[in-house]
Order: sequence, then structure tokens, then C-alpha cells
Amino acid sequence: MTMKTTRDVRGVGLAIPRPDGPEKVTGRVQYVADLQPRGLLHAKLLRSPHAHARIVRIDTSRARAMPGVRAVLTAADIPELKRKAPTRSHAVLAIDRVVFVGQPVAAVAADELAIAEEAVDLITVEYQVLPASVDPLQAMQVGAPPVADAGTEADTSEAMAHGAVAVARADAPPPKAVNVSQQSRLHRGDVAKGFAESDLVLEKTYRVPMVHQGYLEPHAVLAEWDRTGFLTLWASTQGSFNTRSEVADVLGISENQIRVIPMECGGGFGGKIRALCEPITALLARATGRPVRYVMTRREELEAGNPAPQVIIRLKTGVKRDGTLVALEAETVLEAGAFSGAVLAVSAVFLASLYKWPAFEVRGAEVLTHKPSIAAYRAPVAPQTIFAIDSHMEQLARALKLDPVEFRRRHLIVEGDPMANGQPWQSNGGREVLDRIAEHPFWKSRAEWKASSGNGRGLRGTGLALGGWLGGLQPTSATVRLNPDGTLSVLTGQVDIAGTNIALAQIAASAYGVDIEKVRITTGDTDTAPVTGLSAGSKTVYTVGTAVLQAAEDARRQTLEIAASELEAAIHDLELADGRVTVRGMPDRGITLAQIGKKGNLYMSKVPPVLGVSRPAFSQQAPGFAAQLARIEVDPDTGEVTVHEFVVVQDVGKAINPLGVEGQMQGGAVQSLGMALTEALMYDGSGRLMNPSLLDYRKLTAADLPDIETIIVEKPSPSGPFGARGVGEPPIVPAPAAIANAVEDATGVRITTAPLTPERIALALLGGQPARTA
Amino acid sequence: MAKHALSFTVNDEAVEVLVQPWDTLLDALRERLGLTGPKEGCGTGDCGGCTVHLDGKPVASCLMLAVQARGRAVRTIEGLGRPGALHPLQEAFVRHGVPQCGFCIPGVLMSAAALLAENPRPTDEEIRYGIAGNLCRCTGYTTMISAISEAAAAAAR
Repeated sequence: MTMKTTRDVRGVGLAIPRPDGPEKVTGRVQYVADLQPRGLLHAKLLRSPHAHARIVRIDTSRARAMPGVRAVLTAADIPELKRKAPTRSHAVLAIDRVVFVGQPVAAVAADELAIAEEAVDLITVEYQVLPASVDPLQAMQVGAPPVADAGTEADTSEAMAHGAVAVARADAPPPKAVNVSQQSRLHRGDVAKGFAESDLVLEKTYRVPMVHQGYLEPHAVLAEWDRTGFLTLWASTQGSFNTRSEVADVLGISENQIRVIPMECGGGFGGKIRALCEPITALLARATGRPVRYVMTRREELEAGNPAPQVIIRLKTGVKRDGTLVALEAETVLEAGAFSGAVLAVSAVFLASLYKWPAFEVRGAEVLTHKPSIAAYRAPVAPQTIFAIDSHMEQLARALKLDPVEFRRRHLIVEGDPMANGQPWQSNGGREVLDRIAEHPFWKSRAEWKASSGNGRGLRGTGLALGGWLGGLQPTSATVRLNPDGTLSVLTGQVDIAGTNIALAQIAASAYGVDIEKVRITTGDTDTAPVTGLSAGSKTVYTVGTAVLQAAEDARRQTLEIAASELEAAIHDLELADGRVTVRGMPDRGITLAQIGKKGNLYMSKVPPVLGVSRPAFSQQAPGFAAQLARIEVDPDTGEVTVHEFVVVQDVGKAINPLGVEGQMQGGAVQSLGMALTEALMYDGSGRLMNPSLLDYRKLTAADLPDIETIIVEKPSPSGPFGARGVGEPPIVPAPAAIANAVEDATGVRITTAPLTPERIALALLGGQPARTA
Repeated sequence: MAKHALSFTVNDEAVEVLVQPWDTLLDALRERLGLTGPKEGCGTGDCGGCTVHLDGKPVASCLMLAVQARGRAVRTIEGLGRPGALHPLQEAFVRHGVPQCGFCIPGVLMSAAALLAENPRPTDEEIRYGIAGNLCRCTGYTTMISAISEAAAAAAR
């Protein structure tokens, strides 16, 4: 596809507030939990208190006898359930073994939530507790307690759905160890020879614990069946069509028997892609013949949601004294929890081929443990990987006394360089982003900032890091209609969380040639909308935007064809401006868009309606890079980090709506800072979560943060609509590395385990070992 | 158990509603009165999504029993302003493009409104502490601070 130029209308490039703003600021917009249909029942799940146990018997008789209880289900009541569930979604209720704390064992639907809660308490389960695999490195050892039933296949659908990177060239030997569910190996050149020839070999192990996506709206769904066996789900999902497919597969019914209506989604960040509570809620609705609503509590979210994996990366590099890169070896362990589903290849690509290593060997393993299974979290595994590779690059530069920006710039890939999997890097703005952040006054004055330490102040430092995301791909479709009053209606099925609908409308306006005020965009449900991909992978504007652009161009072409026929002129002699098609040079000879629209909807008219359609599939990614800079102060007594300034520079290709783009950059930066500073799901030795509340799972508040400065770089993507690239994910990537680099600048101490808590930093300053969290 | 008749004022209107003794104020507002603007993000007072005004002061309505509101005046986001007649804070939030997923927004706005009632010209630092009890996962708070600051400045003019 060629790059489009913006037509002379109010559209692409304008910072326009999203049209649903007034509904959102007045509390009128509806989420699943706000729905209250007549006859509504409330669901509650009984969850496992053990990380690993055999279920000896379940007694539901007292719960069933309780007034107001309409259904109690266990695995025995659900013939659709299969052993060796290929995904977490298929493991609706535990059959005879529980594999993580919080795994659903039984389900209740009742007239009131309080009744359902009490009924759940009346269910007695006899467990035979089994030893659990809690630490991923121990889980890989021979004799570790097994998590999956023998013969369960790895789930690579997340990698496919997220479209992060093709793995065709990965050379993966068959898994050997008992809890290793996937393995990958990417290599080039002679690593052993490289290390032998190196002047400096640096080896470190980097750890980032499991973290929760942290969306404010817990998972929620409302299910209702009609008398013909047709299921409607009102869902909080990042992809209605994906939810429909998964629920159909789990329940064994056809997709056209299910309608998924996407309600407002109160945040997802990758955590609301897979069907988590939709199947059990649908089953309760089927058992009762009533609408059933299920809303997870925050404790359930933290204990039994689908968080991001723990990532442990052992990284070894060899370089020459002059800074020449020679060899890299890495082992990545992704802790997937109780079910397979991690994306392995992203880590390998960023470790081995963000910078040009002539020889590398990168091995990856997905390891199962007795913890909740993981899912995507905004640029899955990229922040953790960049924490390793960027921290490492910074240390190498410091050890070699080289300028850290110049060192990165010298080795950074450019378009056409091979990725670790052999595919070429696409056009990207990595270098531009790095150059821009190096020009920032906070970077240039880093020596002065450091020198201002002491005298009642803490230890001051500056750090930066560079990271990015390759960009997801997924086929999608869209329609653009011309209405009888000359306005446009755009229809897709994309779930708008971040403000993508206004950007899509702007694309339609510019591609068709009308002002944005004339465009209305609707998110349809799975019965009304054309098939649309997930709102994930930084790909809504890139892929759905392409579909909307092409559909708007199709509608424009049809409009001009009709005008040509009505005006008896050739299409190439026509102009479309100010809502009217005219013959060039003859302003009186014209027809309005409203007239064309009317003719397409007039009794006995011979003019067809204008319906632009597009259904693209994609093969070319558009990597998006972001760099972040932190100016910090460390309290030498407590180890507490204060972030004084934080800057995000990001290449977005083209900012379709700068207001939305800046919102993504700021929000992504703060999630990244949370991963860097405070967030961790902390488990005890038995696999129980020790911090299952938002008091103890510490997300950053307004009082913890400075204003986030945003600098937009626009290096057009040759493939995206109007040059746009994916925007959502890159800003969550760099901060853990940027903060660790800043802490070293301030204190001289290198922390390799995130989050960089006061405890960890204070201990390191005392010369002790940084504390580890399972 | 017998339900209790609860009389109180909600958004300047006297209401009477039957509640369970264990219903929180948030339950009563959402489930019994259909005022679903206040949100339950945690149920333990940590996220601020359920913030409403009780006699003009911000409270976490998930931490209060409904019956404790007897005879008192509650204001929810529905009573702050409405489409077409937005409160200046709401207008500023729309203009600055603050809402993304939107789930935290009702609580943030009620905290901000309570802050401005007490301190009409807060510094950015005071605004940050004024909404520190409200978690937001989408925005990074920067646009919220500018919007609240701008609304305060506009009201002072």
C-alpha cells in the first residue's frame, strides 16, 4: 500500500477529544457490572485454597438446598469439560486436581450476590494437598512436581493472536524437563570463539516478577440464552470475535449461535483477550435459564487473573576494548503459571538483534508452575527483555568508558538488518528516538544534576533506555457508508479502550474527503460488525485504520462513479470538496453528497447505495520505538527513589490524533515505572499470593509521580495508514532499564531485579545481596 | 433477614429505598437506585473508584454501610453535572482528553470536586495529593492534573 496524503479537510493530525468524553465524565457510560436486566442472577465461584491438590470429594448439598440458590455446578455437571485442557479457558472448573491458588472448583448462581457468597461457603471440598512447583528454576529440575497432565500440548495461540513475531525460523528442540512446555533456540555464528576473543565478558542475571495488568475494571460478563439455544454475552473484552470463538470452542456450539456485545472495557492491557470467566457464566445461565452476571473481585483478579509472566534472563556478552560487539549468549525463562501460553520469540529478537551481535545464541524456555496462568501485558515480555539488554549495554559502556548513547547508536540495528529469526528489520525510528532523547536538556545536564547530590539532598542520577515493539498484525475489516444527508457511518467491531475510534474516524474523514464532524463511527457486536481483530498488539490504528482508510477510499470511488454518471462527466474531471462533487473548473455543475446519499435510498431509484468495504490482511510490521529518560534522587538511608522528571520520546510514524497519542505515551510510561519501582505479585513457598489487595500490590498514584513529558517523533511507516505506527505498547518498555541505569548513575550500585524497591536499593547500598522474590 | 427502609438525600432529591443490613452505600446506589456512575474497582477502599460526597466530604462508598447514610446528603457523579450541562471539571476533563477506559473517572472527578470545594486554588502538588487516593491505570495522571488546575483557574476568574 502506498502512503496517502491528507486531503484538505479536518481529519488526520488534529488533536480532537474523543466523542464519548461527556458520557464518561458523567458516569453514564455502561460497563458490564452496570447492567441489570430483569431476572438477573449473580454468580460466585468457589476457588482452590491450594496451589496443588487432588480433589477427593465435593459436597454441594447444603449449597443447593439454600433458598435463593438457582444453580450449583461442579466439573461433574459439565459434560463439555475435557482433561488435558489445552488452554486456561478450557479448564472451566477443576476436574480432579487443582493447579493454582484461586482455580475455580465450583460455581453458584443465586438471586443475590450475598446468597451466592454464602452458598459458596457451604460447599465442602476434601483436598489431598500435593507438593507444588513454585519457583520456575526449581520447577525445571528433574523430579519437580508436575503441573500439566502428561500429554498436554503447548498453547502458542497467544503468539499467533498477538502477531508479535514469526517464529518459523526458530530452531526449537523438543521439551525435555517435566515442566518445560515450550523451548526455542536462535543462534548465529560461533559464540564460544567470540567469547575467547573478547576483552571484556559481562554476565548478569535479570529478574522481573509476575505483575498484574492492573486494569481498574475487574473481569466481568453477563450471559443469557434464549429459548432457541442462542447465547448472548455482554463482555468486557479486547476482542469480541476472539471471545466468541473461544466460548464456542469451550462449549462446543457453533459461532453463529453466540452474539458477543462488547460493553465499555474498563482497561485490558492484554489481560482481557482470553476468555476467563465467560464460559462458566454462560454455563450457569444455561443451567438456570436466567441472565447471570459475574464480576470478579479485586482479590480474585490478583490471585487468579492472568498476569504477566515472571521473566528471568541470564545474559552474557563479550566485547572488544574499543566497544566492538563480539558475542552474546542468553537464557530466558518465562514462568507461565499453570497453563502454557507465553510468547517466547519476542525476547530472543530484542536480546540478540536490537543491537548488532555478530555471534549469538539465545535459548528460551516456557516453564509451568503452580501459579495462575499468564497472559499478555502491553508489549508482552519486552519491558523485561529490555531491562536485561539495555541495563547490560549501559554497564558495558560504563566499563569501557564510552558515551552510553553513542555506544548504543553505534550498534543499533537499522532497516534491513537481520532480526534474530532471520527476517529483516522493517523501517523504524530507533535511531531518531535515541538522538532526540540525547538532545534533551536533562540528559545534557546530567553531570550537573549528579553534582547537586548531598547537602541534605539524596543521591541524584539520570538514566535513559531505548526499547520498542515490533507491532502486531491481524486480518480485519470495516465498512463506510454514505448516508442520505451526506454524512458518513463507519462500522467496525473494534473495542475502543484507548480512544482509537476517534482516530479511525479521522482516517475516514481524510481518506474520503469530509470534515471529521460529518463522520460517526460505531463499534458493532459480533452479529452486526464485520470481522475485526483484537484491540491489542499496538495494531488498531495500523490494521483497523488501514481497513477504514481503504473502505473510505472505496466509498469515495463509488461516490465519484455515481457523480460522474449523474453529471455526465469523467471521474478524473471531478473534485470532492465542502460536501459537494463538482466538475473541475465548472463550480456550478455539481451534486452534493446528500443528493448522492438520498438517491441511494430512494424508492424506485436506479442509483445504488454507497457502501465502502475493505477486508485487508497484513504481512508487514511497523516497529515502534520509544526512549525514556529519568532524572531521579535516591534516599541513601531508606533506598527510596523519587522520580523528579520523566521524559518519553516515541516514534509514532504519524500522530493521527496527538491527544490520544500523548495519552498512550503518558499512561504507558507510568505502567512502565510501576514495573520499575513498586509492582510485584509476591508468592510464599506454598504458592499463595502474599499481596492480594491494591493496598499491598502497589500501583503508582498521582502523588508518586512528576508530570510525564512527551515528545512525538514522526518517521512515517511505509505501510501504515497515513504513515502511522503502533503507539500503545512501546511506552511501557523502557522504564525498568532507565530507572536501573539512573540508580547506578546516582549510587554506583547496579540492581538487576525489578522492582527497584527501597529495600532492594538500601540493601545493595549496604553491600548486601539484593532480596529475591519468588 | 428483613430489609431496612433507608431515607436519605441523593443528588438533591429525597429518596427512600429498601436495603439489606449488609449492603454498602455503593451497593445501595448501584444496585438499588441504579446510580451506576460510582464504580467498584476493589471493594476495600484502595482504588477510589467508588468515591462520592457525603455531606460534602469525599468518602469511599464501598467502605460504608448503606444504613449509615440515613438522613444524610449524598452526591454521586450523576449529580455533579450532566451531558449538555457539564461541571467545569468535567468540561476540562473532556477538553484535555483525560478519559481513556473511563472506569476511574467518576471517582477522580468526585475527589477533585471535593478538593476544589476546600481549596479553590490548589497547587499542582496539592492536586496530586488530592487525587492520590484514586488509582488510574490508563492516563499516567498528567492530563488530570492539568485539567483540574485549569478548571480551578477558570473558576477563580
